[in-house]
Amino acid sequence: MSRVTDVDTVAPDDLKQPPKVLPSVEDNVSFHQRINQILGHTKSPFSSFLVNPKVFTFEEKDDHEEILLVLRPHWFTNLSWILITIFMLFAPLTLTFVPLLTTFAPNYRFVAIVFWYLITFIFAFEKFLSWYFNVYIVTDKRVVDIDFDNLIVKKFSEADIHKIQDVTSRVIGLFPTLFNYGLVLIQTAAEIPEITFENVPNPEKIIKVLQELREENEQHASSDRTL
Amino acid sequence: MLNQINLYLQIVEKSSFILGSILYLIFSLVVVKQVGSMTKNVYDKYNSVLIAFSYIHITFAVFLVFLTIIIL
Repeated sequence: MSRVTDVDTVAPDDLKQPPKVLPSVEDNVSFHQRINQILGHTKSPFSSFLVNPKVFTFEEKDDHEEILLVLRPHWFTNLSWILITIFMLFAPLTLTFVPLLTTFAPNYRFVAIVFWYLITFIFAFEKFLSWYFNVYIVTDKRVVDIDFDNLIVKKFSEADIHKIQDVTSRVIGLFPTLFNYGLVLIQTAAEIPEITFENVPNPEKIIKVLQELREENEQHASSDRTL
Repeated sequence: MLNQINLYLQIVEKSSFILGSILYLIFSLVVVKQVGSMTKNVYDKYNSVLIAFSYIHITFAVFLVFLTIIIL
């Protein structure tokens, strides 16, 4: 006797299980291709927008985690301290016109100028370190924000991709619009409700990548549920 | 009297220069420590160059202390 195939009358043990679909290698390759198409390539290691960096890593990185994107504030945001450094470098030359240190003996003047150049160096060095090590990282599993404040305080914030709820960007002002950099706000359901990427270049690309990662994550989650 | 005031002023000047350079040396030690900590947390291509710069800086800070003690 043949069994009924009508869904309404079918017994629970008659239900056919859907075929198990595992994410194939091809799916993974196409995912990476899509990410690369969005992000493009990075030429300079000093870039604020490092795509798939080969050398870069961070202490909290998992062994099976892949870094897709490393972001630093746009180079234009460094212009103010670069100009101040240049001004500080040439400031002692003004002493020939404005005799501020004439009351001091020549050996004191020499030490004061050496001191001044050391301060100039450390000012620029500290600003550079602050730019270089305050990074925003997008991996295939999470987004990470590493901040070092005044060379002493380290802040580490992260949110898993599946906990991202909303991503918005803001490009406000003349120079941000001109050089295409701005703010990316990532709202999460994690312990830290919001992660902010400040002054990052190409905010629209970052949003696209995060969207792609979320979709990929959802697909994996749904395929895991069906298994 | 005037010579004595001048002498006191010189002592104040010299000791403030020495104190300043010693404080700067302590600060440069903090910088070396922090660059080490930063490079440990975030590894990138030019980390070794930055560490080298921090050590060059501390060398100059030591030089400054000697300079203030010797030539002032």
